[in-house]
Amino acid sequence: MENQLLVRKIENGTVIDHIPAWRSEMVLRLLDVEEIRTRTDISLVSLNNVPSRKYGRKDIIKVNNYYLEEGEADLVCLVYPTATINYIEDWEPRKYRPKTPERIFGRIRCPEVGCITNSPREPILTRFRVLPEFKVLQCEYCDSLLDFENMPEYVKDK
Amino acid sequence: MAGEGFLNRDVLSTKDFSREELDLIFDTASDVEENPGKYRNTLTDKRVALLFLEPSTRTYGSFEASAVNLGCKILSNRNPAVTSISKGETLHDTIKMIESYDTDCIVLRDRRMGSSRFAAEVSELPVINGGSGSREHPTQAMLDLYTILKERGGIDGVRTGFVGDLKYGRTCSSLSYALGGYDDVEISFVAPPILQVRREVEIFLKQRGVPYTKSSELRDAIPGLDVLYVTRIQKERFPDPTDYERVKGSYVVDNSALALGKEELGVMHPLPRVDELSPEVDRTGHAWYFSQAANGIPVRTAILSLVLGG
Repeated sequence: MENQLLVRKIENGTVIDHIPAWRSEMVLRLLDVEEIRTRTDISLVSLNNVPSRKYGRKDIIKVNNYYLEEGEADLVCLVYPTATINYIEDWEPRKYRPKTPERIFGRIRCPEVGCITNSPREPILTRFRVLPEFKVLQCEYCDSLLDFENMPEYVKDK
Repeated sequence: MAGEGFLNRDVLSTKDFSREELDLIFDTASDVEENPGKYRNTLTDKRVALLFLEPSTRTYGSFEASAVNLGCKILSNRNPAVTSISKGETLHDTIKMIESYDTDCIVLRDRRMGSSRFAAEVSELPVINGGSGSREHPTQAMLDLYTILKERGGIDGVRTGFVGDLKYGRTCSSLSYALGGYDDVEISFVAPPILQVRREVEIFLKQRGVPYTKSSELRDAIPGLDVLYVTRIQKERFPDPTDYERVKGSYVVDNSALALGKEELGVMHPLPRVDELSPEVDRTGHAWYFSQAANGIPVRTAILSLVLGG
């Protein structure tokens, strides 16, 4: 396989596979990039547009020595349902079964600029309910909708 | 006491109210109209804060008149320019301050969407949403439903057409949510595409199984309607003024347009109107909008009475 030639297996960490082609950058926005950047023992490789038997082309992210929190993994799978997440321990993969969260707290900004949650200095945590049948999040304060696919644009820094 | 579940309750969205709860408000409003003396000065030990950070005539006035009828003391704050909000104070701190002034209830109007829900989380006191941005105006929707109930004799089976600015008009969404609790209702949304009803309202109606249609042709929608709810098209919202010029004439409700509808078709409008509703309609039996505005007092008296335990 072409992608196996591009990067070797990792001993410990997380592999996010079957990301739609050219979407790995969006997936990275959903992760705790601050921790990944500041920890010196973590390395990350992002493969774009590699061949996929199932989807034609796909992206892959491998993060050495970093385990995605389940909440992060659930967000990634919510936005990109084809994505699969494997935790690697001593070279052994363990597939994560994503859950659809009922609510998302704090991680996403409301897309409505006039929402009270976007008001400067208000001590308020964003809160969205997840409506999987419509592929949207709904702000519990102002009711505005955010399509799953647009979520990466609205991720807040932790 | 019938209204026990209402005591200290927040009134934030019509989505939070069941049909039975709305019926209790309407029964109480009807009682307020029939027996006004029964409610007069029943809440003399209560203080109501009217925090109106956006302009308002009818909502402020009818809450004030309702509170006065009930004998409440009023803490009025309706000019954001003279509050600490103009100095950058957060809504959180403003609410905390008002709470500390021995208040029993806060009525809040604010341009920020979701502000009332946030205020209700910040405060131990019941919060009544007097209009939050372009999203919700629940007490307006309650008086709208009360008007339909009085004029038509019932809400089940009502065919309602909304026309005008449905995207930014908060009365349209709140009333649509409220109608979703009744049986066999149908809704027609008539607006130019850029001012059509927001998607979250559509999702709510789909979840409730309420049939609705969207179109931009008023005259096609009028036959078959029981209620035509007219809202002002807000010129300032149009990105391209030529779009406004093209659509504004389509939405003038006058006697010739109403002649296409049922004889008993009722026309409602949250007011103020500009030119979307011709004054000639005022003299017809279609005009429900002045009694609709007058219903603000019994309905808001009922809400305050139920929330404050009168």
